Amino acid sequence: MSHTKTATLKAESITLAHRQFIVAENLSLSLPTGKVTAIVGPNGCGKSTLLNGLARIHAPREGSVLLDGKDIHRLPSKEVARKLALLPQDNTAPEGLTVADLVRFGRQPHQGWMTQWSREDQQAFDQAVLAADVADLSGRALDTLSGGQRQRAWIAMAVAQQTPLLLLDEPTSALDLGHQIEVFELIQALSRQGKTIAMVVHDLVNACRYADHMVAMKNGCIIEEGAPADIVSPELVKELYGVHCDLIQDPATGSPLLANLRPCNS
Amino acid sequence: MSSQFTMPGTRNTLVNIALSVLMVLILFTSLSTGTVQVSLFDTMSALVGNADPMTDFVVNELRLSRVVAGLLSGAALAMAGCLMQTLARNRLATPGIIGIDNAATAFAVASVIGVGLSLAPSAMALAGAAAATAIAFGLAGANVTRGYRFIVAGIGIGAIAGAVTQVMLSRVAIDTANAAYPWTVGSLNARDSRSVLVLGIGVAAGYVTLMCLSRALNTLQFSDAVAIALGTRLRAIRVTGLGLSVMLTGLAVSVCGPVGLIALLAPELARALCRPGKIPLTAAALAGASFMLLADLLGRILLAPLEIPVGIITAIVGSPYLLWILLRPSPRSLT
Repeated sequence: MSHTKTATLKAESITLAHRQFIVAENLSLSLPTGKVTAIVGPNGCGKSTLLNGLARIHAPREGSVLLDGKDIHRLPSKEVARKLALLPQDNTAPEGLTVADLVRFGRQPHQGWMTQWSREDQQAFDQAVLAADVADLSGRALDTLSGGQRQRAWIAMAVAQQTPLLLLDEPTSALDLGHQIEVFELIQALSRQGKTIAMVVHDLVNACRYADHMVAMKNGCIIEEGAPADIVSPELVKELYGVHCDLIQDPATGSPLLANLRPCNS
Repeated sequence: MSSQFTMPGTRNTLVNIALSVLMVLILFTSLSTGTVQVSLFDTMSALVGNADPMTDFVVNELRLSRVVAGLLSGAALAMAGCLMQTLARNRLATPGIIGIDNAATAFAVASVIGVGLSLAPSAMALAGAAAATAIAFGLAGANVTRGYRFIVAGIGIGAIAGAVTQVMLSRVAIDTANAAYPWTVGSLNARDSRSVLVLGIGVAAGYVTLMCLSRALNTLQFSDAVAIALGTRLRAIRVTGLGLSVMLTGLAVSVCGPVGLIALLAPELARALCRPGKIPLTAAALAGASFMLLADLLGRILLAPLEIPVGIITAIVGSPYLLWILLRPSPRSLT
């Protein structure tokens, strides 16, 4: 995708809160450009909140999120939407909406008040349905698709936005093994085309395999950050999830695998 | 493969054309039907100013202003309903259900029977609509129009406003109360021409604004996060949408009274006919205008020379429908 320019996204000592309850305090994070960043951690550690903070869904109480060096909450929302796409966890759609309808919504940030569907929009649409492999499904209603197909359709919408940045909140959480790998492969392919990607993931093994950069969170703090092979250790796994494990190398890919998982008190 | 998707609006355009034709048919029937029957040809002649004085009087003086009032108020109520359902993501959240109609009526009745305020019914109805919405917001204790708290608070306010109207009517001379009665159940009989003019301006301005906002409104069908990610300024669109909905409701009520079920029925028909994915504001407005004219026509001819107020006709047709929505096992897109 030649048109994909790069953009930088970083959080500068942000504090995120749900009403009076502070979820994360004084967090700073910079997404490596053109790489896949995985945000991992136990339930309730604030990783989804951080992702929503980065995506300007959740405004920080203190600090700021900078998109290309500018405060994301001060930029026009449409301009942000041309640089940053988000696949949230809660993605319900109106009943009967087709895949094509959904993907077409991805072009909205590029359209003016009255402008019609342009040739450029159509190109972006065609590329997106091809990239996410939903071209054959475009006439189908979303509610008739399998979970994996539906997730690919949502990713196609985000791809049609043609943003240099893509954030995904647990993109594989409801999918079976085959569909998980399918979605991770798609994410990796998009990153190779130049997108900067950040995703919240539960599955540590696939996070190790598909992410270039890993951010480990606990209790609202980033406790480790770096390449998965460098930071993932039995100690980190114990600290994050409270379980013992042995670490072995995937014979094919060389990425870390967790083996012999057991509770700490045994 | 692309030709199939490049014209997503085709079906909606056809629906809008069909509804327009239907509306025009009902409009001409309304103009020609009544105690004095006028042929369709004579009706047309009267409209372009070529009829005998008698026909001219019946069509242009007696019926045209009533039909225009019905058309505008039906369209306004339907747009207001469609808008509020979209903002609240709940198909029960129409201005009529959440008490805005009743509050507007109470304020307007106050101005009609004269409680010392000499404001025009339009201004009073607007004030009532705005007041009810503000109180519902305050009681729901949230800055969003989401969820049942807002609806429940609104139902309460509607009940109070209805009671206030009754109290006011019970304290004035019986003739005044009788004169105001048809209007409190919803009727096109009590309109005044200035309110109709104000409504006309409101409907035109509201429709143009909504068309400009239609893309952003369409994204409200998704979760907040998706809407924001697509570049929608959520707070701005909510405030504008709610303001327009309140304005359209208030102005319509000042003309026809609380014919709230139009706001429930018309968007539903529009949604059933149009493609999913777009908020069918135009289709809802056309359907609302048609419903209002049809209900008024039926009210005029069913028991002629007695007249059944339009609000009673829509209630007879609309209430079973409301029950059906509530009891239906699997709700459609808006829960």
